[in-house]
Amino acid sequence: MGEKMNDYVIETRNLSKKYSKNTVVNSINMHVEKGKIYGLLGKNGAGKTTTMCMLLNMVSPSDGEIFLFGKNPKKYPTEIYSKIGSIIETPGFYENLTAYENLKVISKLRGNYNPQDINLILEMVNLENAKSKKFKDFSLGMKQRLGIAAAIMHTPELLILDEPINGLDPIGIKEIRTLLKRLTHEFGITILISSHILSEIENIADVIGFMDEGILIEEISKEDLLKRLNKFVEFEVSNIDLACEILKKLELKENYDFTIENNGIIRLYSKLELRDQFNALFVNSGINVKKVNLCEENLENFFLRMIQNN
Amino acid sequence: MLTFIQMEFLKLKRSNIFLLSIIGSILPPLLMFIAVIGFNEANSFDTLFANVNMYMSAVFAVLLFAIILSYLFGREYNEHTLKTILTIPISREKFLLTKYLMFLVWILILTVVTSISTLIFGFIAGLEGFTLKLFIDSFVELLYANVLLFLTFSPFVFLSLFITNMVPAMIGGATLTLVNLMIYGQNWAPLVPWVCPYLIASGEIAEYSTSISISYAVIIVTFLIGLAISYIYFTKKDVSL
Repeated sequence: MGEKMNDYVIETRNLSKKYSKNTVVNSINMHVEKGKIYGLLGKNGAGKTTTMCMLLNMVSPSDGEIFLFGKNPKKYPTEIYSKIGSIIETPGFYENLTAYENLKVISKLRGNYNPQDINLILEMVNLENAKSKKFKDFSLGMKQRLGIAAAIMHTPELLILDEPINGLDPIGIKEIRTLLKRLTHEFGITILISSHILSEIENIADVIGFMDEGILIEEISKEDLLKRLNKFVEFEVSNIDLACEILKKLELKENYDFTIENNGIIRLYSKLELRDQFNALFVNSGINVKKVNLCEENLENFFLRMIQNN
Repeated sequence: MLTFIQMEFLKLKRSNIFLLSIIGSILPPLLMFIAVIGFNEANSFDTLFANVNMYMSAVFAVLLFAIILSYLFGREYNEHTLKTILTIPISREKFLLTKYLMFLVWILILTVVTSISTLIFGFIAGLEGFTLKLFIDSFVELLYANVLLFLTFSPFVFLSLFITNMVPAMIGGATLTLVNLMIYGQNWAPLVPWVCPYLIASGEIAEYSTSISISYAVIIVTFLIGLAISYIYFTKKDVSL
């Protein structure tokens, strides 16, 4: 198979991983564009970590192809992987060494050791006061931040981050989110980030890849996602039976055009533009309409819908 | 490669294992010193050096080397640093080579410590017959035995990669030590990879009917088998998280 020449920083073709009879990653075709933040979303065990491990040459694929920066990483491992920074699950560091010493080991082995750079990067992740602290005494959040420091220390072109906000407090999450966005917008770094926390991916990603049971169900840009989120109107009414009767007379089908929710709420999915007229009809029929809300499906519901459809 | 070895030493900073191995390498000379003082076990440097070399390379080093090797490889798994190192990127071949070299350097350091501490204990005990040539010959003998023993430890590299916990290494090392003690003096001792390094280095192999070249072959074959299986296993196996 020839080399791919396109703008994808990551591209996989029918990438699969099987452990005996168990297929963990099933023929996925991933496309990560340059300069974008790609959020890989899936519940625990969806195959996100295994996919990232295959991209990083930590796990051998059972089948399929990987292209990084348009090239086969097996052919140019040093050239390609030196442009990548990564965190896979909990960052691994030497417990007896300090934060500074751990980064020194990594940068020395990379061949780009510079004490000032290490101090700078520790400042960037708010660990400047912990540079002389042993890694074994770090909190989970500090470990995670040191992992991010190690991943970005050599100014990579691609970051592969597996659940990087695990263990971080809300302030830490916000800091890392801001840092990652800055890395993309200011330095043009491409980021592949995985998480099972939907809101986090929604907040940060330009493109979202939905993964479930080893299958990459779909890749959707943030713009497309907003268009595809279901919209509906909720009516909170005093007489739900009468309100249903009115809607049925207007040829709307229950459980299709509208659903009955708890607490006297009717959720309308069709003819949303006529919601004013429906409201007027309810009121004229003596129904007390307490609330009318135009709502949008959230990412969680969209994700669940996708899994169910899949 | 020098940087890699330097970083291996940095990784040992504040680590007890290096200090413990140094203490371990002083133990045979210390025990022999106690034997000299308490039981008149030796009255000359010649005997002291010979006894220390035998107990060190034929008995104690087997256990000590097994623990060191298990630590060198096992910690990268247990502290989850293997994924950090390999994604730097460091090739698996280079990683393996660095660890082998670090193991050899570590052995060289322990050999120096054992020889010098033997010398010091000999002087403290007031032994006679010291000459510089005797010391150098004894050091070279121990060094040669330990380097040959290093070669026979390549199967332990595979075991350290396969079972990353140090406890099996300790049990395995202790078992092998006992086996060495049982085998030493038997006719077929020169055929056992972990006994013949001392027999060759000390010249004791001349007392056996087995040719020295067969003993060398045993060591080389053991080394190559261990190297091959550790290389194949490490380069093919997925990195565990």
